[in-house]
Amino acid sequence: MKQSISQIKNSLKKKSISVEELHDEFFKKAKLNYNNAYNLITDKAQNKSLINESQKRYDNSNSLPLDGIPLGIKDLFCTKGVRTTASSKILSNFTPNYESFVTQQLLNNGSIFIGKNNCDEFAMGSSNETSHFGPVINPWKNKNEPNNNLVPGGSSGGSAAAVAEGSCVASMGTDTGGSIRQPASLCGIVGLKPTFGSCSRWGIVAFASSLDQAGPLTNCVEDAAHILNSINKYDFNDSTSSNHKRDDYVKDLNKKFEKKIKIGIPSDYLKDVSQDILNQIENAKKVLSQHDIEFIDVEFTTTEYALSTYYILAPAEASSNLARYDGIRYGVREKGENLDDIYLNSRTKGFGDEVKRRILIGAYVLSAGYYDAYYRQAQKVRRLIKNDFERILRDVDFILTPTTPNEAFKIGDKLDPISMYKNDIYTVPTSLAGLPGVSIPSGLSSNGLPLGIQFIGNYFQEKKLLQLAALAEKELAFNE
Amino acid sequence: MSNNWEMVIGLEVHAQLKTSSKLFSSSPNQFGSEPNENVNFIDSGMPGMLPVLNFACIEKAIKTGFALNFTINKYSVFERKNYFYPDLPQGYQISQFEFPILTEGFINIDNGQDQKKIRIERAHLEQDAGKSIHDIDPKYSFIDLNRVGTPLLEIVSYPDLSSADEVVNYMSTLRQILMYIDVCDGNMQEGSLRADVNLSIRKPGGDLGTRCEIKNLNSFKFIKQAIEFEFQRQIEVLESGGSVEQNTMLFDTNTGETRAMRSKEFSHDYRYFPDPDLLPVNITQEQIDKIQPTLGELPNQKLDRYISELKIEKDISKIIISEKENTKVFEQMVNDTEVPPKLIASWLVGDIFAFVKENNLDVSSLLEKTKVIVELLKLISDDVISNKVGKEILPQVLNGENSPMEIVKKMGLEQVSDTSELEKIINESLQDEEENIAKFQGGSDRVLGYFVGKCLKASKGKGNPKLINELLLEKLKK
Amino acid sequence: MSDIDIKRISYLAKLKLPQEKEEFYANSLKEIIKWVDNLKQIDTNEVKPLHNVINATESIRNDEINKHNSVEEVLSNAPERAQNFFKVPKVVD
Ligand SMILES: [Mg+2]
Ligand SMILES: [Zn+2]
Repeated sequence: MKQSISQIKNSLKKKSISVEELHDEFFKKAKLNYNNAYNLITDKAQNKSLINESQKRYDNSNSLPLDGIPLGIKDLFCTKGVRTTASSKILSNFTPNYESFVTQQLLNNGSIFIGKNNCDEFAMGSSNETSHFGPVINPWKNKNEPNNNLVPGGSSGGSAAAVAEGSCVASMGTDTGGSIRQPASLCGIVGLKPTFGSCSRWGIVAFASSLDQAGPLTNCVEDAAHILNSINKYDFNDSTSSNHKRDDYVKDLNKKFEKKIKIGIPSDYLKDVSQDILNQIENAKKVLSQHDIEFIDVEFTTTEYALSTYYILAPAEASSNLARYDGIRYGVREKGENLDDIYLNSRTKGFGDEVKRRILIGAYVLSAGYYDAYYRQAQKVRRLIKNDFERILRDVDFILTPTTPNEAFKIGDKLDPISMYKNDIYTVPTSLAGLPGVSIPSGLSSNGLPLGIQFIGNYFQEKKLLQLAALAEKELAFNE
Repeated sequence: MSNNWEMVIGLEVHAQLKTSSKLFSSSPNQFGSEPNENVNFIDSGMPGMLPVLNFACIEKAIKTGFALNFTINKYSVFERKNYFYPDLPQGYQISQFEFPILTEGFINIDNGQDQKKIRIERAHLEQDAGKSIHDIDPKYSFIDLNRVGTPLLEIVSYPDLSSADEVVNYMSTLRQILMYIDVCDGNMQEGSLRADVNLSIRKPGGDLGTRCEIKNLNSFKFIKQAIEFEFQRQIEVLESGGSVEQNTMLFDTNTGETRAMRSKEFSHDYRYFPDPDLLPVNITQEQIDKIQPTLGELPNQKLDRYISELKIEKDISKIIISEKENTKVFEQMVNDTEVPPKLIASWLVGDIFAFVKENNLDVSSLLEKTKVIVELLKLISDDVISNKVGKEILPQVLNGENSPMEIVKKMGLEQVSDTSELEKIINESLQDEEENIAKFQGGSDRVLGYFVGKCLKASKGKGNPKLINELLLEKLKK
Repeated sequence: MSDIDIKRISYLAKLKLPQEKEEFYANSLKEIIKWVDNLKQIDTNEVKPLHNVINATESIRNDEINKHNSVEEVLSNAPERAQNFFKVPKVVD
């Protein structure tokens, strides 16, 4: 049985385990890298002083909120002095001289990084198959085909697998169109994407700047709240960071809601979904209804346009964000007769197929003659999608949806990009609206694979959102 | 032959803004540092780095807006201009495109007799690029990113200019204004002010030809040469039956010729789109109102005041206002004394500037010397010394050797204004001059000059000429 | 939808697609563009484009120098350098 951050901290406080013993326990597991969830495991020697300092704080009874907690970090966060690759060949030799804002907060709160988690290359993917370091394997197996390796989801697939396999207590991921929530769902853990503007993007390798958001992948909702407490801060150096007062997300987590809660279930999300998925929603509805929670049917008018909007805007931003990878100032430089050859060879050999595909889409939708029809139109539809959510969130406090349209699938199963993109159908609209969403495990499919449900809350209402998720988690508790 | 053709020119001027830090990063905006010394991780385009806007750049743009009669837009948007170049670490330049901060301005340029209004389409903020250095190694280029992110204001004129002289005139007027309002240091050699020239030709009343853009000219001389060469080149192309291709041209400062840049397989497509790392800029009326009073007097306002209030000749006024430093020195002197501004002005643009030039000094070095200069001028205007003596001792005064009065005393150069002494000299000078005296009394005024000269000579140049004149007249009229 | 000029797009993106891959990417792109073409059905004449879900920035800097890194840190990842410069094959305009 996995222990929560609070439970681990209690053991450390009671000295039933030392920080070093705790570290080694996870470190050993991570080193095996069974599921290829890590691109890099931190040298123990490198962590030694952090371990000692943490132990000292426990000895002096002044421990920090995440003191000694071994975390995984998606290899998209720049970590000072530690190789950061975005799972791309082009960055495979890059060591930043700076620490991302979010990981700095985690360090400030005493946590210790076990390693850098594998992910889709530049976070572009929904199955963690686009990584230069090879696919991540989902620790779960289909009980009817136990020999097949399944995908963990993506792009934070390494993070999800690492938490699920128990090689770190929690992992920091990023979510652009579902990259935290979808793998969390496929690996049977909790994944939170905070409101856009909550957690600074400073020092995170950018995919799509107007959508990227950091968030935790954890074993339980309470752990997510602990991590959110550390990372949810205004950062002056991110111009899209919001400067509002932050809540304490752990305090009152298990308190009852003061007034009756209304949850909307979008009927248009449930068209054409499998019985397995429908069961999750029905079950959640059933158990939560006992808690003075009212469920009402709602309907979006924009759902069918969300994926199109996303697959125009995200590649457009990515095509520009990835222009800096040219082999001149850092990263892998391929040989070339002249400068242009170096550019072309470095980028062509340095990026994988999916990344190249998205760069090409992005360049196309921004190019002369197509900008208005694609990019500008998508920006307009994005406003309609946001309006659509705001309309529905005037009537209800939360929205409940499936996290994914399917369970974990076989590695290599989805070769066609569009069917891959459709994995994010329930997570992408929230991302476009910038709203917070949390995925929690809701039960097992008929194949014995985890499935997740997603709760969506209003802007910066993570506190209430996690309260609801904690309640649902308790009610839905299932045995593996 | 070229009489049949006229040129139509629009100018894109890039002005580096005078700020401490860069447009989107807090590293120093400074010329002449060691390679890559002024570079931080934002400037070098490291993964995950994000821009934060420097408000001083907005303030400078607003100031420029007032000075160049622009509409100042409260809503403007930074967009990315995407292209690859080793000087451009992010792979895009952050600029403004659809919503620039300034639109529809103009300035008047002085065309000798009359003024011409040059309309300005827009001005927008953007980042400067780094520098590639090609002449250290035969096979490699070296890249210095110090200039990356330096704030630029790109000022885009309408094609209202029709000769090389007019272009130079427009650019120097612009330069003068930007220096006055402290937006740009105007140092063209260091690249603080650069121009792209868009030139096409036509027959009077005829259709406009295809235009070519000559990039990055950083001296008035090169601008003139480039325009004249390109004008002739286009004429020759058209007159020999060819057609001008729309091209980006480079000016070779060694040969004085323009040539097309290495042709690209495909034309540029910058794929501008709003920078998602930055939110639109919203400025308030309050912020705009706060900036207007900081503008100070503009060059043309100064010119008018010098001419009408201080009664200084136009030509001299123009010389003074041509550089802001000149006006500082001049106005400091005018404020320090009751010596007539006109006397100060003529001395300043005459002997004082000559001294500065001869000794390779900055005009601003005079700011510490205005007190002694004014002392000297006061001696002249009070007739303590003559103009001629003043000129002689000016270098000693400017070198700070002694105070003007002490120099004068030590050298015994005081002007003789004692009437009895002068009368003695006059009496001596008029001896044996019966013939000339008769001529004067017969109506010949010219003789008076002769007598004045003779008296001055007798006084060894120290006699007060005005007094001598008066006393002579008195005597002769008797 | 008009035909996709894959050569031009890859030129803009600074990618050199091998000939045998050009068709693969062109087809893939065509399919995706066709898939997102459904946005054209929506009347958005009255809709303003949405740049970002955040409305206004809180981050506007005062004009102060604040630099925490050394030249060495800027250059430490450079594939090729010469003294304190980045080094590339000669650039010809
Ligand atoms: Mg230009
Ligand atoms: Zn420009």
